[in-house]
Amino acid sequence: MGCCGGPPDGWCYSFTRLLFSIRFRSTHQNRNCEFGAMENSIGQIPSPTQRRWRKVAYGGMQPGFDDNHTDNTFLQEMVMNANVVKRDMLKVMLDSVSISQYLCIVALVVLVWTHTLNSTITHNFLLILDVTLLASGFFILLLTAKMLSFTLLINYLIKISFFTTSLYVLSPIYHTLTRSISSDSIWALTTSLIILHLFLHNYSGSTIKAPGALEIKPTLTSNISLNASIVASLLIASRLPSRVLVFAVILFSLQVFLFAPLVTYCLKKYSVRLHLFFSLVLMVMTLSCVYCLHKLMFVFLLGVLSFVNLVCPYWLIRIQEYKFEINGPWDEAKLCFNITD
Amino acid sequence: MFLVKIQLLQSPLSAMESNHGKHSILMVSDFFYPNFGGVENHIYLLSQCLLKLGHKVVVMTHAYANRSGVRYMTNGLKVYYVPWKPFLMQNTLPTFYGTLPIVRTIIIRENISLIHGHQAFSTLCHEALMHARTMGYKVLFTDHSLYGFADIGSIHMNKVLQFTLADVSQAICVSHTSKENTVLRSGLPPEKVFVIPNAVDTTMFKPALERLVMDPIVIVVISRLVYRKGADLLVEVIPEICRLYPNVRFIIGGDGPKRVRLEEMREKHSLQDRVDMLGAVPHAKVRSVLNSGHIFLNSSLTEAFCIAILEAASCGLLTVSTCVGGVPEVLPDDMIVLAKPDPSDMVHAIKKAIKILPQIDPQEMHLRIKGMYSWQDVAKRTEIVYDRALKCPDQTLLERLSRYLTCGAWAGKLFSLVMIVDYILWRLLQVWQPDTEVEVVPDLNLSRSNRVTQVHPSNVSS
Repeated sequence: MGCCGGPPDGWCYSFTRLLFSIRFRSTHQNRNCEFGAMENSIGQIPSPTQRRWRKVAYGGMQPGFDDNHTDNTFLQEMVMNANVVKRDMLKVMLDSVSISQYLCIVALVVLVWTHTLNSTITHNFLLILDVTLLASGFFILLLTAKMLSFTLLINYLIKISFFTTSLYVLSPIYHTLTRSISSDSIWALTTSLIILHLFLHNYSGSTIKAPGALEIKPTLTSNISLNASIVASLLIASRLPSRVLVFAVILFSLQVFLFAPLVTYCLKKYSVRLHLFFSLVLMVMTLSCVYCLHKLMFVFLLGVLSFVNLVCPYWLIRIQEYKFEINGPWDEAKLCFNITD
Repeated sequence: MFLVKIQLLQSPLSAMESNHGKHSILMVSDFFYPNFGGVENHIYLLSQCLLKLGHKVVVMTHAYANRSGVRYMTNGLKVYYVPWKPFLMQNTLPTFYGTLPIVRTIIIRENISLIHGHQAFSTLCHEALMHARTMGYKVLFTDHSLYGFADIGSIHMNKVLQFTLADVSQAICVSHTSKENTVLRSGLPPEKVFVIPNAVDTTMFKPALERLVMDPIVIVVISRLVYRKGADLLVEVIPEICRLYPNVRFIIGGDGPKRVRLEEMREKHSLQDRVDMLGAVPHAKVRSVLNSGHIFLNSSLTEAFCIAILEAASCGLLTVSTCVGGVPEVLPDDMIVLAKPDPSDMVHAIKKAIKILPQIDPQEMHLRIKGMYSWQDVAKRTEIVYDRALKCPDQTLLERLSRYLTCGAWAGKLFSLVMIVDYILWRLLQVWQPDTEVEVVPDLNLSRSNRVTQVHPSNVSS
């Protein structure tokens, strides 16, 4: 999950490197003394004006120096931590808001699922929710992405109507999809799929291409994440009592999983303040809804949110001091221009 | 005879001592002829020179297509094509222990005293070195490539290298930059790492007898057309140079995924008559291509040594190259023009090269290269490293395990475990087939008169 994953293996690796490097530097110093002494005793020492060791490969073995000669200039061109970015606590915290925002969105979806399964909300309410969400999402996109065009609107409407129709036609199939499987298995599977979805979700962008945005290639992990969420919503929908409910829930979940990242992404790009405000509202709303449903879940969610927003940024800043990056002439050169294929 | 064999069992060193300081060396790498490249060439030419110095050299590699089993090359160089199929980029599948029986058999059959592995990517090399260490032999490793420290691939690669090199007797690198890189990657003490550069077969790369006329000036590029070789830099540089100098032509030899981009560039700037694309150039024809140009352009983004510029210089071409990795060490400053790996600086360097071109005498350059690089010299220097390796004290398994344990909190324990299992398997193999029951191959004794004059392998078809 972006910033809050533990220190990667490379980190341990780098740390041992650091230790090694210190050890090595000291042995290196000693070695030079030994070397000098040895050469003196043999009496072959070249006077400093006569011959100096050069960092060249041509001309055979350099007279007076073995092939394993380690010069003072050894590793002189090594640069440590050249590209390390100093991170600011506040900035990292603000950046982590996107993660907690999405966590809240998913929590809200799960809430809706639970309420539907408990039959506390009707299909009429769900259908109205679907339409409102669709309309408001579309409205936000129109406002933020600045792409007011009649043809685009028509295009979108046609696509959406096509999509909903086929979903409606298919809903009887989804309705009976998992009849032979026990509810426990479905719940377990759904939970693991949702966790997988959250774990692999691309929090820094959107899997769906934003209108007018540059082509962002969706990564494999973000695709897996999206698919996991879709399967999870199908599984949940298949436990519902009526076809209309199945249709409404699938439509709702797909809307959220497909378009919420896009909408929040556009919102964030439009204005960071608005994004923060929206996230705050969302968090309060989610927490209060969860509080009404289940006290323990509320504590858990609160814990997760504070972990993501407070502990992880602090953790990230703390482990920065272990950062150990080595650069040198052996690195592959980077091209200073873009390759357009 | 029986006594001799018992002696052999006790210590591989005794076998060597009986042979008056001459070693029998097993070269191991996934990369060998008929595949072609820098490493393959290095192993072959080094082996040839070591054979001339009186050592016994055996090469072990994996099977190439239907070339499997034992083959003899020029001067009785014996090559074992082990019947393991490559699975990725000419590498065998890493199995850790799969190669133990055959490595053991070859070592005993051929009475080997030293194992010399080549190239960090080669899984066969890593495995053979591991087994040889388990069997108590001294091992050497030559690193032919550079690796960064930043990406995930390199981190894992470096860990594997650290494992192999944790216990290696001596290591060889092809340039000083490569040595710095290897020391950092593997944690070897720097005094154990030798720098012995590649060389060039100057008899094969001679300048044209008659000097080429200076109009048009021909710039030659021979490299695989891939990202790492800087094909994208060429796409930027070539049109600019063609615009500045109407009398410059380019010859591009080599093939690869970036060839399409170069061809697109050629069409976009309508340079079809000024940029020749030859496609892949067989090694035997490299000389004739080089001899048709004045300037050699190398645009690599990373390079441990770069034999290509050496071959070009041996043909008397002035070299323009990106200043990456070990490239600045290869030639003296007056034989090469170095540039930063960005298009404008490279254009500037080519301008400079065109300016100093009239002062370059190809024949003189060839003679200078001849004095600077020779495979005989490389072999002699490698011989010193072999002697050093054999003088290293013998170590018990426990002493060696302590070294593996220092390789990392988790990795160290894993490495130790791998070595312990290898040791047990080796002991089991010894019970199953005792060393004395493995037949030793009589050495092929080619008398001097019988020796064929050196035929270059590119002329020997499989």
